[in-house]
Amino acid sequence: MNIIQELFGKSPFGPLVEHTKKVHECVEMIRPLMEALVNEDYDEIRRLQDQVSKLEYEADTIKHNVRDHLPRRYFMPVDRVDLEGFISSQDNIADKAEDFAVILTLRKTKLHPAIMDKFFDFVDQIFQVTGTLLTAAVELSNLAEASFSGAEAKVVLSLLKGLNEEEWKADRKARSLSKDVYALEKELDPITIIFYEKMILTLGAIANEAENAGDMLRTMILK
Amino acid sequence: MDILILALMVLLGLYMAWNIGANDVANSMADAVGSGALSVKQAVIAAGICEFAGAVLVGSHVTDTIRKGIVDPSALASMPGMLEGEPAALMVIGMSAALLSAAIWLNFATWTGMPVSTTHSIVGAIAGFGIVAAGIGSVNWGKMGQIVASWFISPFAGGLMAFIIFKIISRLILGHHKPARAAIKITPYIVFFLAMVVTLATIYKGLKHVLKGLDWLTDTHTLLFAFVISVISTIISRLHVVKKLAGKETLPLAQQLELVEEVYVPLVIISSCAVAFAHGANDVANSVGPLAAVANIFKTGTVEMKVPVPLWILVLGGCGIVLGLSTYGYRVMATVGTKITEITPTRGVAADIAATATVLICTRMKLPVSTTHTLVGAIMGIGLARGLAGIDSRIAKKIFKSWLITVPAAAIVCIILFLLGRAYLLDYVRELVLAARVG
Repeated sequence: MNIIQELFGKSPFGPLVEHTKKVHECVEMIRPLMEALVNEDYDEIRRLQDQVSKLEYEADTIKHNVRDHLPRRYFMPVDRVDLEGFISSQDNIADKAEDFAVILTLRKTKLHPAIMDKFFDFVDQIFQVTGTLLTAAVELSNLAEASFSGAEAKVVLSLLKGLNEEEWKADRKARSLSKDVYALEKELDPITIIFYEKMILTLGAIANEAENAGDMLRTMILK
Repeated sequence: MDILILALMVLLGLYMAWNIGANDVANSMADAVGSGALSVKQAVIAAGICEFAGAVLVGSHVTDTIRKGIVDPSALASMPGMLEGEPAALMVIGMSAALLSAAIWLNFATWTGMPVSTTHSIVGAIAGFGIVAAGIGSVNWGKMGQIVASWFISPFAGGLMAFIIFKIISRLILGHHKPARAAIKITPYIVFFLAMVVTLATIYKGLKHVLKGLDWLTDTHTLLFAFVISVISTIISRLHVVKKLAGKETLPLAQQLELVEEVYVPLVIISSCAVAFAHGANDVANSVGPLAAVANIFKTGTVEMKVPVPLWILVLGGCGIVLGLSTYGYRVMATVGTKITEITPTRGVAADIAATATVLICTRMKLPVSTTHTLVGAIMGIGLARGLAGIDSRIAKKIFKSWLITVPAAAIVCIILFLLGRAYLLDYVRELVLAARVG
């Protein structure tokens, strides 16, 4: 029994990076889902939805693993509240990605050609937001190594600045897309419009949560 | 001296030292094993050598305080109604009881997994003896206060120093946008500081004490000598760092950081050895010190104020430690090695340098401090500098609680043993003392 060795807790930052990556895998399923929707391949959508569910479950497992490393008694280099906020925002991202897949399976909805380009543009913008978050978050283990300061911290902080800008763009694209959807109200049945709106809101929520996670990461560094 | 008595004393000293080897020593190598710089087997061997060297070379400074700083022997002699030779006999029984009770307490602590300081145990035990043998007044409470204060100051000082050293490493190297290049520039300075601390401490007190003939080793010469050794180490480290890191600044940051940590592997080995050395110098001498008093009484038949610590006692302590390490400490070290820990070589070096310097300074000021607790303080300092992913505050609290309980616990065990010894062995020991006077 060696007391000094017991003094060292296991680092949560390695598993945290794993969690971030797994969450992003869920987000990466959105584009294939959209493509399946365009092709009206509903079997493929069901298959992809299964896959997202599985990924989300895996992300949850890693999340529990991370939380196991964070008993209250551990004294950490970052604020626990920020770290937990970061994890739960990441968790929400995965949940929303799963929700998006589920929405597509609920009804055989067709994507109207008039909004197709804008919709894909919006999806890409969401991807841009979560991708920026991923780039910043995978640096967590390096940040811990450099004790959350110096050049490494600066790099991550500037990445996070970019994240806010991307999220703002995503918001604007969501508004403009919503307008286009309502412009089609004469052509489309109301249920389809509700579905489009649901999709847009879910995707928007992903961007929002990514921004939240980024904010938590920033306060972790600036503690 | 009676051969039976000698054998008993040797056994007692060995038992004590065995306990230190079994319990305490693994801690001094914690940073080297924890960061993966040394295997368990290598760490056991390195610890054995360094502890032994520390005990034998530097060992005698603190023993004075332990022996006569806490309890005044003349208070015993001036007590009314003492027979001839009785104070000396009481001293023998008391010191033996102190040693035995500290060893028993340590043994119990090892068995139950309590983090206990060797030094604190022996200080508590001797104070317990003093209170019962010659009354509360015989304990030098001023000195005792100083000692207890140093137990709070030393982890704090270790923590502060570790905080500063790690901040320097973190700001100048790990936080640099090209850590590999920064490491080439900064590491030699850190090596210089490390070498200076280690060599100064070794020569200034250790070699000077053992090799008395070295008159040319004046303060200036010592400084000069340490300086030369440090410069040589600095040059070697510079060559090593350049060989390892030159041209690596174009690699991705993560890889650079990894390479920098690799460069610190030899340093964490050296600095851990320095902790083991300081531990040997401090804790070992503290614990086998009372033996010197006993041995001297049996030799001269009187209680003297100034007792030389015979080399054989320090060697005995060193041997006992190696024995404890190889029989039981090995297992302790093995659990250290298999547990996944989150300390990297750079953190290990910072904690080790701070702990060594603090313990050696305290030793020099004749304050018996605990190496383990100073190291814990240093590790906390690194944590405060945001250098560690997680520190288990429950363990930290456990360590703190054990600080509080050790002194009274060891004192109570010692009081019981002393009262038993006085009841059954006083006449026998008194005869031995008187026989020594005649002889």
